[in-house]
Amino acid sequence: MAATGKVLVVFALCMFSIVANGDMCLGPQVTSQTYTTPEAIVSTETVFIVEFSVACKNGLKNINLYAEFGGKTVPASKIGEPNGNKFQLSLSDEHKKLPSGNYQVRVFDEEGYAWLRKAQRSGENLDNIKPLFTLDLSHSGVWSGPVLQSEFVAAMTAIFVWWSAYTAKSRLQQ
Amino acid sequence: MKLWIAALLLAFACYLPCGAEDETEARLLVSKNILNQYLVEGKDLTVEYRIFNVGGSSALDVQLKDDSFPERDFEVVQGNLRVSWGRLAPSSNVTHAVILRPLKSGYFNFTSAEVSYLPTEGSTERQLGYSSSPGEGGIVPLKEFDRRFSPHVLDWLVFAIMTLPSLGIPFLLWFGSKTKYDTPKSKKGN
Repeated sequence: MAATGKVLVVFALCMFSIVANGDMCLGPQVTSQTYTTPEAIVSTETVFIVEFSVACKNGLKNINLYAEFGGKTVPASKIGEPNGNKFQLSLSDEHKKLPSGNYQVRVFDEEGYAWLRKAQRSGENLDNIKPLFTLDLSHSGVWSGPVLQSEFVAAMTAIFVWWSAYTAKSRLQQ
Repeated sequence: MKLWIAALLLAFACYLPCGAEDETEARLLVSKNILNQYLVEGKDLTVEYRIFNVGGSSALDVQLKDDSFPERDFEVVQGNLRVSWGRLAPSSNVTHAVILRPLKSGYFNFTSAEVSYLPTEGSTERQLGYSSSPGEGGIVPLKEFDRRFSPHVLDWLVFAIMTLPSLGIPFLLWFGSKTKYDTPKSKKGN
């Protein structure tokens, strides 16, 4: 009798922990698609757009996610069907501030976000808080035109041709 | 006497609570900007929406939708024109960007997007708002843009080939006479 009682208590505790974790996404599987601004001539700012969908092992739907990037925290926008767990993150800044390279965006769930805000208020280091998952984006840089203007190359070629003809002519006349 | 009563009533009326000017309600302002210097047909057009909550409490179930870009005139490259957020805290803002590609050139009037949200926790009626509208923009055909900005490498090569006869014939004449008469000279020098 005592043994079954203990088993029941242990079972109840296990159920409690599962129920308490019911609001958290466990084992998230993320598929993402990234867009970064390709040309600087046409756009005034560099924009990163990450569309990603999250599949939780415990089948959780309609979660709220928050992303931390460069010290700024933003809520992730929900796209598609209401319970589809598809999100989009838009990050924009001047071209100079977002050079080419690899960037990391940390994504937090509600609980992680609460910890993050608490750390921000008390001025602690934000890197210590563990995110739900991290998104890696690589930006190949914005193209601001060719390195050498074609007019410059044409002018230099013309000058070079003129100069070789001139030196050949002056050698003839010596 | 009547003037006094009228003045008193007017002063009293100013202090009456009016509608949604409550400090504890959410109020969203949305700005819609086109982050492009040039609008070119076939090149990416970036639309950025910034939503600010200037009210006193969180806005719930915020939904933004932009139906002002017809499918046959604009293609969505990345992003989504319908998006939602669970909650937006007071005195905070959120950015959303969409990349579109114009399929036709000409003048296009960029109008507002719509936002709807619940201003307080208990409200059942959705509050509707509109974003700012960027106004009219001219979408330049790709040919015009290339005429001004592309490197024109092919054009320069064609030009070089065209100048070859006028440069090449004197060069060949000189080179022919140089090889004929130069070699004895160099022998003498040795």
